[in-house]
Amino acid sequence: MNDGPLIVQSDKTILLEVDHELATEARHAIAPFAELERAPEHMHSYRLTPLGLWNARAAGLDAEKVLDTLLKYSRFPVPHSLLIDVEETMSRYGRLRLEKDPQHGLVMRTDDYPVLEEVIRAKKIQPLLGPRIDGETVVVHASQRGQLKQLLLKIGWPAEDLAGYVDGTPHLIALNEDGWKLRPYQQMASDNFWSGGSGVVVLPCGAGKTLVGAAAMATGSTTTLILVTNTVAARQWKDELLKRTSLTEDEIGEYSGAVKEVRPVTIATYQVLTMKRGGLYPHLELVDGNDWGLIIYDEVHLLPAPIFRMTADLQARRRLGLTATLVREDGREGEVFSLIGPKRYDAPWKDIESQGYIAPADCVEVRVDLPKDERVAYAMAEDTDKYRLCATSESKTRVVEQLVSRHAGEQLLVIGQYIDQLDELGERLKAPVIKGDTSVKVRQKLFDAFRAGEIQTLVVSKVANFSIDLPEASVAIQVSGSFGSRQEEAQRLGRLLRPKKDGRSARFYSLVARDTLDQDFAAKRQRFLAEQGYAYRIMDAKDVETAD
Amino acid sequence: MPGGAGQESRTGGNVGLMSLIRALSKELEARSDNSLRALFDARPDLITPPVPDFGALAARASARLSVQRALERLNRPQMQVLETLHLCTNTDTGHSASAAGLRKMIPGSSGAAVERILHTLQDLALVHRADPPHGTPESAAKQRHYLPVGSLKDVVGIYPAGLGRSYTELVRLQPAFAQRVVQLVSELHRSGVAIHDATTPMEAALALQHWTSSPEALNTILSTAPERTTALLARFRNWAMGAVPQAQRKASITTEGSDVGPVDWLLARGLLVPLDAAHVELPHSVGLSLRGGAIINDFTLQPPVPELGRTSAVLRRNAALSAISETLRLMGELLHAVREQPLATLRSGGVGVREMRRLAELLRIDQQQTGLLLELAALAGLIRLDVDSSSWVQPPQLEWLVLPRQEQWLWLVNAWLASERVPSLVGQPINGTRGVPAAHRSASGSTIIALSAEAQRPDAPLVRKRILEILHELTVEAGSADGTAPVLDAAAVLQRAEWAQPRMARRFSSMIRGVLAEAELLGLVGSGALSQLGSALAEDQPEAAIAILGEHLPAALSHVLLQADLTAVAPGYLDPGLTEKLLVMADAEGQGPATIYRFSEGSIKRALDTGYDAAGILEFLRDHSATAVPQPLQYLVEDTSLRHGRLRVGPAASFVHSEDEGALLELLSGPTAAHLKLEKIAPTVLVSSAPPRETAQVLRTLGLSPAVDGADEPVVRLRGTQAAQDAHRPVYTAPRMAPGTEEVEAQLAVLRQGGAAVGHRGASGDHAGETGTQLGLEALQRAIRLKQRISMNVVDGLGNANLETVVPLSVSGGRVRVFDPARETERVLSIHRIIDIEAAEETAPVKDFPA
Repeated sequence: MNDGPLIVQSDKTILLEVDHELATEARHAIAPFAELERAPEHMHSYRLTPLGLWNARAAGLDAEKVLDTLLKYSRFPVPHSLLIDVEETMSRYGRLRLEKDPQHGLVMRTDDYPVLEEVIRAKKIQPLLGPRIDGETVVVHASQRGQLKQLLLKIGWPAEDLAGYVDGTPHLIALNEDGWKLRPYQQMASDNFWSGGSGVVVLPCGAGKTLVGAAAMATGSTTTLILVTNTVAARQWKDELLKRTSLTEDEIGEYSGAVKEVRPVTIATYQVLTMKRGGLYPHLELVDGNDWGLIIYDEVHLLPAPIFRMTADLQARRRLGLTATLVREDGREGEVFSLIGPKRYDAPWKDIESQGYIAPADCVEVRVDLPKDERVAYAMAEDTDKYRLCATSESKTRVVEQLVSRHAGEQLLVIGQYIDQLDELGERLKAPVIKGDTSVKVRQKLFDAFRAGEIQTLVVSKVANFSIDLPEASVAIQVSGSFGSRQEEAQRLGRLLRPKKDGRSARFYSLVARDTLDQDFAAKRQRFLAEQGYAYRIMDAKDVETAD
Repeated sequence: MPGGAGQESRTGGNVGLMSLIRALSKELEARSDNSLRALFDARPDLITPPVPDFGALAARASARLSVQRALERLNRPQMQVLETLHLCTNTDTGHSASAAGLRKMIPGSSGAAVERILHTLQDLALVHRADPPHGTPESAAKQRHYLPVGSLKDVVGIYPAGLGRSYTELVRLQPAFAQRVVQLVSELHRSGVAIHDATTPMEAALALQHWTSSPEALNTILSTAPERTTALLARFRNWAMGAVPQAQRKASITTEGSDVGPVDWLLARGLLVPLDAAHVELPHSVGLSLRGGAIINDFTLQPPVPELGRTSAVLRRNAALSAISETLRLMGELLHAVREQPLATLRSGGVGVREMRRLAELLRIDQQQTGLLLELAALAGLIRLDVDSSSWVQPPQLEWLVLPRQEQWLWLVNAWLASERVPSLVGQPINGTRGVPAAHRSASGSTIIALSAEAQRPDAPLVRKRILEILHELTVEAGSADGTAPVLDAAAVLQRAEWAQPRMARRFSSMIRGVLAEAELLGLVGSGALSQLGSALAEDQPEAAIAILGEHLPAALSHVLLQADLTAVAPGYLDPGLTEKLLVMADAEGQGPATIYRFSEGSIKRALDTGYDAAGILEFLRDHSATAVPQPLQYLVEDTSLRHGRLRVGPAASFVHSEDEGALLELLSGPTAAHLKLEKIAPTVLVSSAPPRETAQVLRTLGLSPAVDGADEPVVRLRGTQAAQDAHRPVYTAPRMAPGTEEVEAQLAVLRQGGAAVGHRGASGDHAGETGTQLGLEALQRAIRLKQRISMNVVDGLGNANLETVVPLSVSGGRVRVFDPARETERVLSIHRIIDIEAAEETAPVKDFPA
C-alpha cells in the first residue's frame, strides 16, 4: 500500500490530508488539473472537472502525467473508472485547433475528421464558421473566436487556441520597487499568467492582487485597460499604480460615470461599460476602438453578463482576471474560464497567511435571541419580509454596542444590508454611515479619515464590500448580509485581512438571530468560511460580555 | 457413408445389430480399472447415483442426457471427428467407419490425429469398436472400426457438422417439397439440365442427389448462377438452415428471366429447399459439395490465439483493488440501509423500481450498480427474504460484518462462484419467458428486476468456472512481459470457449459479458486483465488470494478527522462499528475510499433521539477524533441538545403508582425491592425494569397487595428476529466436475463384484431397472427407424396384460404412437403401461420394460 497524502474518490473529488509530510508536494502536483473546492483545516478537497482537465492540457500536461500523479500520491487504489474518464476527457482537448492561416486568416483545423463533421453540424456553431477549405479545415469569422471557443467547450470539444495575441500599442511601464519588493507569490502569479497568455489569478483578499496586475503590465509594457467594480476602486487602482510603477498621472486615465479619459492605461468601471442607452452600449467602443495589449478584469467573479459578451470578442487580446474567490453565486465559473482563460495561479489562503502577508482572521458568529414580540412578529410575517425582520432585530443593536465598547480603540467596521438599520446604528454609535447615496467625495474623505485613525468606527453598506482598501480595520461586525451570499462573506472578511502593524489577528463578528432564516443563511455562509479554512466559532449573545 | 440410411443390408448376426448397449457393456467390462476411473472422472453423471452393474453403466452412458453432457465437454476437433463419424456410420445397420475412412472427409487432418481423437472418444464411452462393414477389403478391414453410441443421433441434432439433410429425407419429412419436387425435376430436365427425369418424389430426390453429388458437378451447375449466389451460399457454409423472406415463393426455371435473383435461382433448381414460410435448408449433398466433398474443412488441433491488447500490471492491480474496496464499502452501506429499512418485494417477486431508486439514492450510485450489488448481497446470504413480511432483511448476527475485509471479499467471491444467480442479468430485457410460470414474470414485463426469479441460471457456476479458467489460460499463454498483462475481452474469451467447448458456446456467449462485469466488480478482472487474485482463484488457491489482498488492503481505521465545517472525514476504511455509530449522528457524503460525515442539526437530533446525550456524543467524538473537537461542532451539539427532548422517553417494564407518596418513598429506600431497580419519575410514580408480574410478586412478598393493570405481559415483536437460519460463510467448492475418489472406488468394487451381491433396487442381472428401460427404448427406437414390428405386453385399464404386435411410429412425451396391423388403426399407448418389448422379427427378446 502506498502512503500518500491523497485519497482519490470515485465521485471525482480528491482529498488532500494537509498534515501529511508530502502534502505540499502533492498539492503542487495536482494543482494544475484539479480545482480546490474546500480547504478546511485537515482535509482539503479538490475536484476533477472536464474544464480543469482541459486547462491542464492547455498548459501542456497530458493524461499520462495526470494519471501518474494520481497513482503516485494516492494512498488507496484509484477508482479505475475515474482514470478512464480522465484519459477520455483529456483526449478530447485539442482535436480541434484554432490557427492563423496566411491565406484564409483564422481557421479551425483538425486531424480527426469526424469531430469536425460533428461540430460543423451543430446548429449554434454553424453561423460562426465560414467556408470549408478542405476535409480538415474550415474558416472561422475572426470576430467569433471567443463565442466559438465557448460553444465548443459546451459541446465537449474544446479547441486549442493557437492563433496567438496582438501586442497592442507598446507603452513602457516599469515597476518602481523602492522600499518594497514584489512578493514571491505575486511574481510567480504574474509569470504564470504571462507564460500562459491569458487567465485568472486567484489570491485571497488583502494578498495584493493589484500588484500582480502591475507586474503583468510591467512585463507587457503595452497599453492596458483595467476594468474595476466601482469608482472608489478605480481611484485606489490609480493611487496604487502611481505609487508602485513608473506611470505618471498623465498616463493613467479614469473612465467612469464622472470622468471619461482615455490614456495609455485606462481604468474603467463595469458600470459605465454596461450602461445601456437606446438599446446600445455607448461606452463599449472604449474597448473595441483602442489597441489594448492587455485587459485586466478586477474581481472577475463579479463580471456582469454584457462584459462576458464583450469579452468574447476580445480573444486576440491578453486577458488577466483577478479574484479572491472563484465562487459565483450564479454558477457561471465556466464562462470565466472559457472566455478569460484558465486559472493560472491559485495560492491557498493559509500559505500566504503563514508567510505573514495577510493577517490571520478570527470569525465569530454571535447567536442573538429575538425578544418575544419580535418572535411573534416574525412568525406572522409574510415570507418575503421574514429575512428582513430577523436580520434587523432590535436585539442586534444592543450586541453591536457591547462589541463596539469591547473593542474600543480598534479600527472597527459595522457592515449591513439594510439602510434603516445602518442609519440607526450610526446614530447609536455616533459613527458616520457610508451607503449608496453617499457621494464619492464624501466616501473618499471618510475612508481617508478612517485610514488615518481620525475615525475609529465606520458603518458601511454593501458599497464597501469590494476593493476598498482599509488596511487598519481590524474588527468588523456584520449585522445583516445578502441572504446566503458566500462571496459577499468572503469579500467582507477580506476588508480585514491586510496585515496589521502589530501582527494582531482580525476579528470578524457575524450577528445572527437564532431559530430564524437568518441562522439558515448564516449556516451557509459559515460553512463556506470554514471550507475556506478560516477559523470560526459560535457564541451566544449573553456571553459577549465575558468572552475574550 | 453419408445418407446411407436405408440402403444397407438389414440382415442380422452382425455385432452392430446386437444391442449397442450390450456391446458397450461388454467393452466397459473389459476395461482396466484405471480406464474406468478416467471415464468416471470425465463423466461423473455415470455413477451418480451409483450403478449396479456394467449393463446399467452402459445404458446410462448411452442415455441421451448423459451423452449430451459428455458432448459439452468436447473441444472442436473432437466434436468434428465425432460428427464425421456419425455421418459416416449407421448404428441401425452396424455400418462402421475407421480413422482412415474419416480422414478423407476431414482434410487437414492426419490419420494418426483422427485415430487419437477416436481413441479419446472411446475412452469417454461415446464411441466403441465395431466390426468393419461387409465387403470391406481385407487390408482395410484390419483397421479399427468404430460406431458412435446410439443416442448420438438425437443429441447432435438434425444438422450434424452443420450439414443439411439428404434430399430423400427432405422428401420424406417436408410434404410441400415432396409435392413440388417431381415437377421441379421435370422442369429442370426439360430445360436441358443434365438430370434424370423422375415420376415419384423419391426418384426425384435421388435424381437431385445424384446431380449435386460431387464438387465438380456443383461447380458446373453454379457456373451459370447469377452474381451474389456464391456469397449467399457462403452464408450456409457452417449451418444448413437459413432465414429467407417468402421462402415458399414460386420459383421455376421455366419462368425465370435474365435478372433472376440468387434465392429464386437456387430455389428453382432445388439447391435450397423451403422448410416453412421463412426458412430454407441447404441439402446434404449440396453442402458437402460446397465444402469440396469434405465434411469438415476447418480442422485444426491448435486453439485459435486471439490478438490481445496489453495493460500495465500497476494499473491492473490498482483497478482490482479499488474495485474490491469499493464493492465492500458499498456492500456495508447496503446492509446498513437494509437494517434501517428492509427492502419490500413486489407481489410477483423481486424488488421494485421504487425500492431500487430509494436504495440507489441512499448509496449514491446508479440503479444498475445497485441491482448488481443487491443480487450479490442476496447470493452471498448477506440479506435474505423474510417470509412473514415478504421483505429482504439482514439476518441477525451476520458474521460477515465483523470479518476482515479480505475475508469478506472471499465470502462474496465464493458465493458468487457457486451461485446460480446471475446479477448482471438485472436490468436486461427478458427474452424467452416461456419456461417461467406466469406468477414469476417480472411486473415491469420488459426487464429483469433484481432478486426476481428471472436472474437464475442453473449453469452459471459452471460457466463462471470455465470463463475463469479460460481467462487464466489465455493470460498464461500471453505471458507477462515487462510488467504488462494481456487485456482479455469478451470476444477473446468467447473465441477460445467456442474452440474448447463448442456445444457450450451459446451459453457462454449469453453470459460472458455479464460474468466479466461481475468479475470486475469483485476485482478478479482489473483494467481488462485477469488480476493476480483472479489467477489465484482460477488455480483454486484462495489462500494465495487472501494473502495478496491482506497485504494491500489496509486495516480498519479507528479515528476520524473533525473539522470546523462540521464534517468528520474518515481518511480510509473505517471500523464498521464506528461507522455505524457515526451514521447515527451524521450523514455520509461522497463516494470512494474516504467518507465524509456531515453533522447537522437534523443528524444530531437523530442521535439524541436514539438515546445519546450531548456529553455522550462529544465524548464519542473526542475518543475517535485524531484532532480536537472544533468549537462550532461542540456548539452545534450542545445547542441542539438544549432544545431537544422536552418530552422524555425512557425504558421501563412496569410502573408502581400510589397516592401514598410515603409508601413509595419507603419502597424506594428499602433494600428489599432493590433488585427491581425502582426509579422515581414523579412523586406518585415509580418505574421498574422488571416485568409487572415480577414486580407484583416482590411487592406481595413485602406484604403489600398490588393491583396489576393490564395483566398481560407486553409482547414485543421485533422484526427480523424470528427463527432465521444464520448466513453461513460460504465455502466454495468448484462445481462438481469430478466425483470423489471414494465414490469412484466404491463404484468400481460394486461393478467388479458383478453387482449381484449388492442389493441395489433389489434387482439383479443386467436387465434391472435403468438397463431394461434403456434397452427397451433402444429397441423401440430402432423399430421406429427400421419400421419393424414389435410385440409387447401392455397392461390395460383393468390390470390385465395383453400381448400385442404393432409397428411403432414415434415416441415422445411418455407416449408411443403405434400402428396396429391387425386392426389397421393407429393408437397411442402410454409407455408406463408397456411391460416388455420384443422385436417381432428378431430372436433375442427384450424384456422387463418397467410397468
